[in-house]
Parts: sequence; structure tokens; C-alpha cells
Amino acid sequence: MNDPQLLDVVIVDDHSIFRSGLRADLDATVQVVGEAATVDEAVELIARVRPTVVLLDVHLPGGAGGGGAEVLRRSSGLLESVRFLALSVSDAAEDVVGVIRAGARGYITKGSSGRDVSEAVAAVAGGDAVFSPKLAGFVLDAFGAVAGEQSESSEELDRLSTREREVMRYIARGYAYKEVAAELFISIKTVETHVSAVLRKLQLSSRHELTVWATARKLL
Amino acid sequence: MTFAAIRPPLQRPRSATISGVCAALATHFGGSVRRVRFLAFLTTICGGAGLLMYFWLWALVPLAPSDTENRRDVRRSVPMAMLLVVASGISATIVVLINLGTGPRGSSPFLFVVALTSAAAVAWSLGVDRHDTSRSERYGAWVRSVAAGIIIACSLAVWALQPSFINSVFATAFMIAGVALLAAPRIVALWSDLITERTARVREEHRAEVAAHLHDSVLQTLALIQNRAGASSEIARIARAQERELREWLFEGDAAPTTDCVAEIRSIAAAIELDYPVRFDVVAVGETPDDAPVALVAAAREAMLNAARHAGGEVSVYVESSARTVDVFVRDRGPGVDLDTLPADRLGIRESIIGRMARAGGTGSVRHGTGGTGTEVHLRIEEQA
Repeated sequence: MNDPQLLDVVIVDDHSIFRSGLRADLDATVQVVGEAATVDEAVELIARVRPTVVLLDVHLPGGAGGGGAEVLRRSSGLLESVRFLALSVSDAAEDVVGVIRAGARGYITKGSSGRDVSEAVAAVAGGDAVFSPKLAGFVLDAFGAVAGEQSESSEELDRLSTREREVMRYIARGYAYKEVAAELFISIKTVETHVSAVLRKLQLSSRHELTVWATARKLL
Repeated sequence: MTFAAIRPPLQRPRSATISGVCAALATHFGGSVRRVRFLAFLTTICGGAGLLMYFWLWALVPLAPSDTENRRDVRRSVPMAMLLVVASGISATIVVLINLGTGPRGSSPFLFVVALTSAAAVAWSLGVDRHDTSRSERYGAWVRSVAAGIIIACSLAVWALQPSFINSVFATAFMIAGVALLAAPRIVALWSDLITERTARVREEHRAEVAAHLHDSVLQTLALIQNRAGASSEIARIARAQERELREWLFEGDAAPTTDCVAEIRSIAAAIELDYPVRFDVVAVGETPDDAPVALVAAAREAMLNAARHAGGEVSVYVESSARTVDVFVRDRGPGVDLDTLPADRLGIRESIIGRMARAGGTGSVRHGTGGTGTEVHLRIEEQA
């Protein structure tokens, strides 16, 4: 990810004003190679261009009405080579969890600055997961990590390790990965490994609370 | 004699005898109510024109505007439904007497009157009295039951006294009518429920549509504005405030406003954002206690205010509540503070945060952010149990 080489990015969003705004805001390390406005356009474009990272809006018209998650499902064959970063104005748990579980490697809100988005793109391209404080908070809640009730499950996927929980708490408190690493006396790489592990659990866990939580509450 | 420049408007008063038509005419033309009533009565018995006119005016003359919010707030002093029931009862007695005496001949018009007045009584009770606050539920039920009873009793009597074919047909028809009158309130209630439910659904659908549209376009634009204007500029702050309001309207819906600890901290964040170039990212985890410890919220407010004043930019607020403890972290990326070098007159941190938490049985601590940037305030309170 420290490679000076440009990262190919496709922006998928149904608002041209937002696409052009984001395009203008992104760093020089990122090269926008295509834009799509609907689910069908996006699926076709991604399959043709095969960018490194797709910036994917959660709410999209077209297709079967499934929005960003539908794009992910229909591009599932490419998930190995193309990384998806979800972008949304909404912090609603349904939206976030929907795209993450469909295969997105991270999630940031549209309020983030161009620099933040560029950094997130670089992180995702490097194979890391991007967690916003809100997403970290959601994970802690969904895995019952605060109430101390998570030990009831023996399934490894359904619980967070102590270290993972600590990392999530720091991220929820607004710490950058670097700061989390310094705080816990571990390397950044280890932090990234923990975050990726949490992402994997979030994607694969069948934990009942995850879905219940997502539908019963709205993350603001 | 000169005409009054402006007549009082032709409108029916909300406190009326029967419908307020005569009173309305009297006020409008400036005569006495009694004279108008007399004229109406006279024209009614001379061919019924007065009655037709009466109904026509009743239908077309608007009600006086209401003082209260309740648009159906009309009071009528004459218990019309009861009078109709009485008329029905008298006619029914006449029908029975005629049948007892001379036979069925001549009773048909009275039978007709029985049917008409009973039906009118029920209709009045359901259509008019239901919205009249001075008529109780119980009164309406009585009126309807008695009206239906009269019809059924009358038909049974006629059928028993003169068991002919035509009478059994009439009797059956009257029975059905009576049962229908008894069932009428249920039907009316079901119908109005259906209408209400349908209206609510249409409204909800409309709202969802508007919400979807706003979500797609306006929120995006507001996000873009914040993005382009820089996080802490005036424009971004306004856009953010608007976004928050819109979001609340969209997602909260008609839900009652919550008053838990997190909701309070969020609203504090919203208020501070309006006054300072700062952006709070409030993340809450766990079940939030309903009765927010006052000291905790007050200390959190102080910490957030400090962050807004001295650091600005992005500030993270993290609230973690478990069964027994509530933790609040406020983290900024400003120049940082050093408690030891703070002048003694700076009471903000020492008193409002640390002292306050200590008095409430909790702890408050202030420390440098990791890597020397910013400040993190940690507040913690444990359940007294």
C-alpha cells in the first residue's frame, strides 16, 4: 500500500453531483477509472474494468432493488481481486451490516473528507478492513461484548477475543490504527490483523443477535 | 332606515336547538328566532315547502368556525333521537290498537311511520349524536335498542293479530330491519375504522416516499456540502445541523423522544456544534440506562464543551453502558492540556469534571491522547446497588 503506483477506483453512486464531488476530492494516489449510477451499470462496469477498489453507495436504484448489497452479490466472483468499500449517508444498521455481510471490506460515511476516503481506499486495497467508530460500536453491541454475555457461545465465529474487543473499543473511541497499536503496545500490522478477523466474523457469523440487532435498531 | 353595511354571515351556531338553521336565518336577517320558526312551521304544514327548505339549508349552510380544535364539536339541546323514538312508539301503539279493533285496514301508514321514525332515530343517534359531547354512549345505545325493539315488537304484534300472507312478509321485513338497526353501530364503527386505517396507511406510504426521496437527494447534497466546505467551516456546520434535523425526522418518525443518557449526550453534541467549529461523532454501545446520572451528563457536557473550545475539529464521544457501569470517553485532537500547569482559576476541568464525578461517586480523569496529540477525558460511574 505504500506503493506509489496509482490505485484504480470505480465510483458507484446514483448522484452525479456526489460522484464528481468525490472525484475532485480524492488524493493523487487514486485514479478514478469509471463511474456507475445503477446496480446493472455497476455490475457490468466492475466486471469489465476490474478496478482495485470500488467505492459503493449503499442505496442504489436499478437491479432487483437490492442496492449496494445486490452489486456485491452479483459481483461475488470478483471479490478475490476487487475490494469493495461501502459509502453511505446512512448509519442505519441494516444498511451497514447488509453490505458488510455481502462482502464489503469496510464502511465509511459520506461525510468523510476526500483524504479520509483516499486513506480508506488505500487500506482496503492493501487487504485491510476499514472500520469507522460507529461500525466498531455496532460490532461491540452485536457481539454482546459489553454486556459480558458473549461467553455463552462456544462458536469461535460468534465471539470476539479479548484483544479484538479491546481493539474495537479503541476504534469506537476514535483512535486511529496507529494510536490503537501504541496504546496496546502491539504493531500496526497486528491491529490490522485483529480488525480483519473481526470483519470476517461480522461477515460469517450466524449469531442470532446480529440480525435481530440490525433490524430492531437504527444506528444513528 | 338604513341597511346594515354588512350582515352577519349566514352560518349555523355550534350550540343549536336541532340544527341551528332557524337561528342562522334569524341572525343573518336580523329577526327573532321565534318568528323564523313560526314561518318554517307554517310553510311546512302548507304543503311541506318549509320542511324541504329546512333540509336544504341544513345541508348547505356552514357551521360557525369552532373555537376548539375539535371540528365536530356541536351541541344540540333537543334530544331529537329520543323524540323520534317516542313518535315511533306512539305510532306502533296506534298500529296495534287499529289491528285489535277494526282489523288491518288503515294501519299501513302508521306502520310506515314506525319504520321511518325508528330508522331516523338510529340514524340520528349514529350520525349526529355520536359527535355530540353532551350525549353519552349509553344514551345512544338505549335509543337504538328501544327503536329496534319497537320495530320488532310492532311487527310481531301485527303478525300475531292478523296472520295473513302479506303481514308475514311485512313482519319478516321489519324483523330484519330491527336486527339491522341493532347491528348498525357495529357496522358504522367498522366502516369508520376502515376509513381511518386506510387514511393512516396512505399517509404512511406518502411519508415513506418522501423520506426515500429526501434520503437519496437532500441528505447526499448536505453530505457533499459538508465535504467540500471543510469539516469545521460555518457552511459545513449549518449543513450538518440541517442533516441531523432531517435525519431525525426521517428515521425517528412519530416515536416518542427518548430521554436516556445517550440521547441527552447527542442533543448536547448537536447544541455545541451550532456554536463552535467542531464535529462530534457520538458512538454508543450497550443498553443505555433510562435515568441518566445527572452528574455524568453534566460532566460529559463540560468535557465536550472544553473539546469544542480548545480543540475543535473532529471529536469522538464514546458511551459504553453495561449492566453496572457507564463509561464516557471524550477524545479530541487539539493541543492537549496539562492539569499541573493549568492556572488555578481554570475550574472547568478540575471542578466541573473531576470534582463533579467524584461527588457523584464516580471517577473522572483527563490525560494526553496517544502520541501526544489531543486530550481524552474518561468519565466512569457505577450503579449504586
